[in-house]
Amino acid sequence: MGDILSTIFSALDNGNLRTGLERSVRNLAPASIRALDTWPYLVELAEHVRKVKEEVFQNIDYYIDETMKSVRRCAGHAYLAKSPDEVKRIVDDIIGDGRKLIVKAKSMVTEEIQLREHLIAKGHEVYETDLGELLIQLSGGKPMHAIAPAIHITKEEAARLLKKIDPDVRDDMSIEELTARVRLFLREKFIKADVGISGANSIAADSGAIFLISNEGNIRNSTNLPPVLISITGVEKIMPTMKDAFFQALVQSGYAGLYPPTYLSVIAGPSSTADIEYHRVYGVHGAKEMHVILYDGGRRKALKDEHLWEQLLCLRCGRCQAECPIWDLVGNTWGGRVYGGPMGIGWTAIIEGIDKAAPLAMFCLGCRKCREVCPSKIDMPSIIRYIKSKF
Amino acid sequence: MPLPTKDVLSMIVRNTLRKGSPISIPSDAASGWARDINLPKGGETVLYTSLLYQMVPYTIASTKYLEKLERGSVGGALLKLGKMVSSVFDVSKLASGVSQQEISSQHEILKRIAALIKKADIKFGYLYDDELYAGTLLYDFGRDKDFAKHAKGVYDIFKRNGVGKVITIDPHTTHVLREVYPKFVDGFDLEVENYLEILVEKEISPKRKLEISVTVHDPCYYARYLEIIDQPRELLSRAGVEIREPFRTKRLTFCCGGPIESLSPRLSEEVASLRVSELKEVCENVVTMCPFCYVSLSRAGQGRVQVKDISLHLGEAYL
Ligand code: SF4
Repeated sequence: MGDILSTIFSALDNGNLRTGLERSVRNLAPASIRALDTWPYLVELAEHVRKVKEEVFQNIDYYIDETMKSVRRCAGHAYLAKSPDEVKRIVDDIIGDGRKLIVKAKSMVTEEIQLREHLIAKGHEVYETDLGELLIQLSGGKPMHAIAPAIHITKEEAARLLKKIDPDVRDDMSIEELTARVRLFLREKFIKADVGISGANSIAADSGAIFLISNEGNIRNSTNLPPVLISITGVEKIMPTMKDAFFQALVQSGYAGLYPPTYLSVIAGPSSTADIEYHRVYGVHGAKEMHVILYDGGRRKALKDEHLWEQLLCLRCGRCQAECPIWDLVGNTWGGRVYGGPMGIGWTAIIEGIDKAAPLAMFCLGCRKCREVCPSKIDMPSIIRYIKSKF
Repeated sequence: MPLPTKDVLSMIVRNTLRKGSPISIPSDAASGWARDINLPKGGETVLYTSLLYQMVPYTIASTKYLEKLERGSVGGALLKLGKMVSSVFDVSKLASGVSQQEISSQHEILKRIAALIKKADIKFGYLYDDELYAGTLLYDFGRDKDFAKHAKGVYDIFKRNGVGKVITIDPHTTHVLREVYPKFVDGFDLEVENYLEILVEKEISPKRKLEISVTVHDPCYYARYLEIIDQPRELLSRAGVEIREPFRTKRLTFCCGGPIESLSPRLSEEVASLRVSELKEVCENVVTMCPFCYVSLSRAGQGRVQVKDISLHLGEAYL
């Protein structure tokens, strides 16, 4: 417990982290406010999304079932995994034997599962393709923000880390040059990759389509170029229809202050053609196989919890983090293994247990700023106060 | 060296349950101000301070000490830390560090508030030494059982004194009585009014114009829990005060860090310092409406901003 404050204090003493947080907070909050001012329908959509999600939560097993059926209808493979181990087993089976080259899009769920670490331990060659997440991978640390994982890494630090994969990187390179080096390096990996792994910002029960938003364009490449695509998403991301799934993705990017998202991918099944003699062939330019793993990981249990269920309405936009006074100072170091800040307290209780979350919760100020800005209007202060009561 | 969260917490709970407030305050410091202005004892309507303003000088002293413990500049091994923490909450040990001047400044605030309410033609009394702290911290820290017990005691005292309506003067107490007590205390039927609401409702008029500019630091509980946002602004602008809004204001106001001051003075001060910078960007005269905000922002803002409770401005203009 004393450990939590010690961690927080070393974060307070970390100049790079402080500067990074300060800069990103100054950009993130106004960007989101601007997005909502410019596209006010996002606020209405957010309300709508919350209502729809509550409905889904009432019948979660039904919607999981429908989603799996729909995925299969589009020639995809569907799985429901209850634990990290189950996900790992399913992924291992899909990937098969031998050393494979794997490209990954950023996904918090795979952080929960520690999938990258698992695959590397299995001997595969794995690369995160989101630039920030790649830096995190190379640093061996944890992501600092749901949207901007590497806000605490300076240019100099980034250059030092990138040298690990590209010996031509030099300390004096500009940010543009560093980015170009990464582009070059990953381009080759995308083309040669055996497997692509992604999360999903949203998934539609009526059609089995997954929705992915991205600005870098790495998600397109990771999901389109490798012959095998595995998408893993929490069951709370299920929406009943394509339309609502689309709305959910829009709301997330709007509140994250990244609107419009540069790319929005909708993927329903593997790529295919029947252009020659009406004979169906899979894997034309995109993936030949698509696997969708719906991940429970404590979520359905939490849905039955009178207090914790509400945190599952979270879209992971990161808005509450940027507005939280404690998070502004120390980022995700105030958090559990994966999630930090206001949303991170509830999520930590869900995925790691309330005992892990309780000592963190004690440093919540109860200022209610998180609830004020949350698209889902999640009453995080009440959730956190409940968690405090278990300390 | 980080403070032991559990020890700090149990001291707060223990003191509140045994002595009525997290740091017990000598009678003079608690109710001397009311004696000075001859407020009647009890009555149907009472002004309820929850002892928060009175606690300010003691909080300042105890935080100074906790700060030293946290920095490790008072000797002692980890073993003794728990013991040291408990002595911080023992008022007799603190006494030397308590500023008499701060006691009188806080008393001045309370007197002004009482005078302003009188000006609004409200008849009210005060519970004097019967007055207890509302137990807000117990609730905020999730100590629900202890809170329920304490709240029941507080309510009983009101009832025993024949109180039907309380006038609150700070955000935390207004919130806890209005929205939390009814859930924890069976049959809770007190009417809860906040003095800023009363002053606006009764349209008190200023005697003189203040030619000053200020920035208003909305306390979280007024802004986001109770929606008391326009009232302070209306009272100040009617008095001719120019209000400059900081980057984050009103419903989006930014916390002063106060709620965790006892768990980590350092972390709390870092939060306050962020806020002070935002406020200073627009104006050096900072208006607070909550004793916790006053303590936090003055501590972090030393030499950077002037922090003054709203009642002092209102007193100058309206009394
Ligand atoms: S809790 Fe709300 S604001 Fe925070 S990340 Fe989730 S959806 Fe966004």
